[in-house]
Amino acid sequence: MEIIEKIKTNKSIDKQTEIQKICLDKLQSSPLPNPKSEQWRLSNKSKFSNFLDYSVNEKDPKFDTPFPNTSESTIRLVIGNNCQINLIKENYSIQQVSEDKLVNYIKEQISCFDQNENWSDLLNLSLNCTKNTLGLKINGSEIPPIEIFSHASSNSLNAKTLVIFLEKNCNIDLLQINLGKDNSSLSQSTFFCLEENSSVNHGVVSYGENKSNLLNSLNVIQQKNSEYNLGSLHFKFNYARFEIRIKQSEGNAKTNIKGMQITKKDEQISTYTKIDFHGPNGFLDQINKSLADDKSHAIFEGSIIVPKIAQKTDASQLSRNLLLSNLAQIDTKPQLEIIADDVKCKHGATISQLNEEELFYMQTRGITLSEASKLQLSSYFQEIISFIPVSKDRWDLLDKLLNEN
Amino acid sequence: MVNENLVKDVVKEPYKYGFVTDIETEKIEKGLNEDIIRLISQKKEEPKFLLDFRLKAFNKWQKMKEPNWAGLGYKKIDYQDIIYYSAPKQKEKISSLDEVDPKLLETFDKLGIPLTEQKKLTNVAVDAVFDSVSIATTFREELAEHGVIFCSISEAVKNHADLIEKYLGTVVPASDNYFAALNSAVFSDGSFVYIPKGVTCPMDLSSYFRINSGDSGQFERTLIIAEESSSVSYLEGCTAPMFDTNTLHAAVVELIALDDASIKYSTVQNWYAGDEEGIGGIFNFVTKRGKCLGKRSKISWSQVETGSAITWKYPSCFLLGEESVGEFYSVALTNNLQQADTGTKMIHIGPKTKSTIVSKGISAGNSKNSYRGLVKMGTKATGSRNYSQCDSMLIGDQASANTFPYIKSQQPNSEIEHEASTCRISEDQLFYLQSRGIEFEEAVSMMVSGFCRDVFNQLPLEFAAEADKLLALKLEGSVG
Repeated sequence: MEIIEKIKTNKSIDKQTEIQKICLDKLQSSPLPNPKSEQWRLSNKSKFSNFLDYSVNEKDPKFDTPFPNTSESTIRLVIGNNCQINLIKENYSIQQVSEDKLVNYIKEQISCFDQNENWSDLLNLSLNCTKNTLGLKINGSEIPPIEIFSHASSNSLNAKTLVIFLEKNCNIDLLQINLGKDNSSLSQSTFFCLEENSSVNHGVVSYGENKSNLLNSLNVIQQKNSEYNLGSLHFKFNYARFEIRIKQSEGNAKTNIKGMQITKKDEQISTYTKIDFHGPNGFLDQINKSLADDKSHAIFEGSIIVPKIAQKTDASQLSRNLLLSNLAQIDTKPQLEIIADDVKCKHGATISQLNEEELFYMQTRGITLSEASKLQLSSYFQEIISFIPVSKDRWDLLDKLLNEN
Repeated sequence: MVNENLVKDVVKEPYKYGFVTDIETEKIEKGLNEDIIRLISQKKEEPKFLLDFRLKAFNKWQKMKEPNWAGLGYKKIDYQDIIYYSAPKQKEKISSLDEVDPKLLETFDKLGIPLTEQKKLTNVAVDAVFDSVSIATTFREELAEHGVIFCSISEAVKNHADLIEKYLGTVVPASDNYFAALNSAVFSDGSFVYIPKGVTCPMDLSSYFRINSGDSGQFERTLIIAEESSSVSYLEGCTAPMFDTNTLHAAVVELIALDDASIKYSTVQNWYAGDEEGIGGIFNFVTKRGKCLGKRSKISWSQVETGSAITWKYPSCFLLGEESVGEFYSVALTNNLQQADTGTKMIHIGPKTKSTIVSKGISAGNSKNSYRGLVKMGTKATGSRNYSQCDSMLIGDQASANTFPYIKSQQPNSEIEHEASTCRISEDQLFYLQSRGIEFEEAVSMMVSGFCRDVFNQLPLEFAAEADKLLALKLEGSVG
């Protein structure tokens, strides 16, 4: 119940929003996720309670790390930073969603929440105030790439919410960046609604500093003929959890996911994905990579659900893992739940270390062992990084992954 | 489009082992309490250590909760409404098979299990278990010449108490899970096999389990010990009559393989599966586990699961010895309202251990077929490998096929590979076969058999033929 008290004693109690009330009510019955449930079973309890240790901070966090320069054409938004946008151009428009529409949409989402599965969202929405919520309605074509930031400040728990409606026939490139700070917790919930014939290249890059924690939840609803491409990267968090829930509400949609999590020291980073096919002719191609070093723990759990209505679904899921230390551990659990009979579904999982033969070959060509390992790792990382859209080069992701400890 | 009804018709075949043998049986009253356990122990004239084992297990069981993580939907079992001991009445001591009630021999003959030793041609030694007790074990003398002990577990308790005391419960401890605890408390009979050092068992050993009465559960226990450099192939078959009530079957199988020993355990499970509306059928909750204790030891599980209303079964291997090997080959077929949640656990503890998992699931009708498996590499399992392959075939759009592999690694110098796929019977292939003049039903049956080939190849010869036939019969009427 501690968490409920924490939220209630939050200074904003007087101006509690309708959404906050609904979520708090839901949390009253189960204040914490059930540690025995499949989704939370492997979560490190002390790290998770560390996430909740910090006090809620609603003020704009000061963030002193400079962001890399952006090119002129890129639109950059920072959630919570008096973020306002109202762009109406000849070919496109990016506008803020009215509060009523936002509240109604979120309420509709909450109505089908499960206490355990959507606990991260319930926490986020019960903590969040209007100021830290960004709702965008995007339509048109030739839209410039968009960067959206969420960041935490030291010694506090921050909650940010992002809701995006992508209207019909609209294509965008969007990079979402979640930055953790020393001793901080960030709760980020993102809701995406893709209307017919729309497509998005979505990048999610989350990286922290010492002892930063993250609960990142992503809810996507795809209408027919939409295409959702996600490239994600999570690293340098004491504790991070990335939950992806994608629903192809009418089928006939395409989803591509390439995700990666890298754990070092005693970090724990987990990815949970649930892909729900609610109509025929759905397509999914997913690959999730993990790398665990030192005493860290990487977890992947992915489920693909194909009910009777989802005939002709073509879904594949691959979990590739590198275990680089004797004290590290990796858990992976790809799952298929299928009722429709005319489907093509497959999954695969591998856990191993760097390929010894390749390392040996490179050494015989005069490349040192550490250089050879880096080369192998860079090709392992590059497959995912190249899938992340917008200004990825400026973020030097590969360099960060290879050279930072 | 393949004709749905035609394929559905291919899976329907009446259960031909559904008859009841009318034989006088001795039953104790329904219910489960300490007195019942003492009574079972007393009837079997057991030593004190075994009674203590049972009572300890019963105490643990009372504190445990029935597991529900598999998400199987079934009517709550009333454990007080079950008879825990039922035995066909016969003379006190049987000196030869001639004294076995002819009706019993007839029953096993009807099932195609020859118990009379004249039928030596088959060269398979059989231990036949009817309800709660073992009624006959064949070829005992010949096996004894090689030093092989093959008898019912009750006899082993009397004649080889030291071995039982040493090994019973060491692989599946009484507190392992709810059904194992229940079995440990009330187990009535089962088979015991001991292969001495350096002996290759001269023939296949087999046990045949038959449930006859509708209100008694079957709780058998099998213990196989293979000493250094020995090897044995063990077969297990099961059938039950058709009742409209559910009967509980909670067995425990423990295998122990020492240095260089190998045990091959094959099962064809064909308990009564209930009717098309899901009425009746056996609840099959089984704990099977093997320990590869010795270096280079090997345990291989192969199973064909076609029966039971509910199957909850995960034959597992604990690979402790260096370079030990675990294998699991499984075909699970579900039809109508059957539910099967089956798979394996491969726990790699020792270095250079290897495991292979091949699982084929076929779901038809309104059934639910899940593969649930765990592969774990412990911190000391350097240079270990695992390969898993799980394929599912769906027949009809009402059946469900699920795959839940849990993979956990704590050892960087090990490799785990897992792959799974789901498919249906390919229309192109069916069309091709039909265009070559092969009847529709035969084509379906050929495709299913081809789908399961990897597993059938691992079965002992006589089982492979039976399994193929069984699958074809079971599928009759359901492919479409």
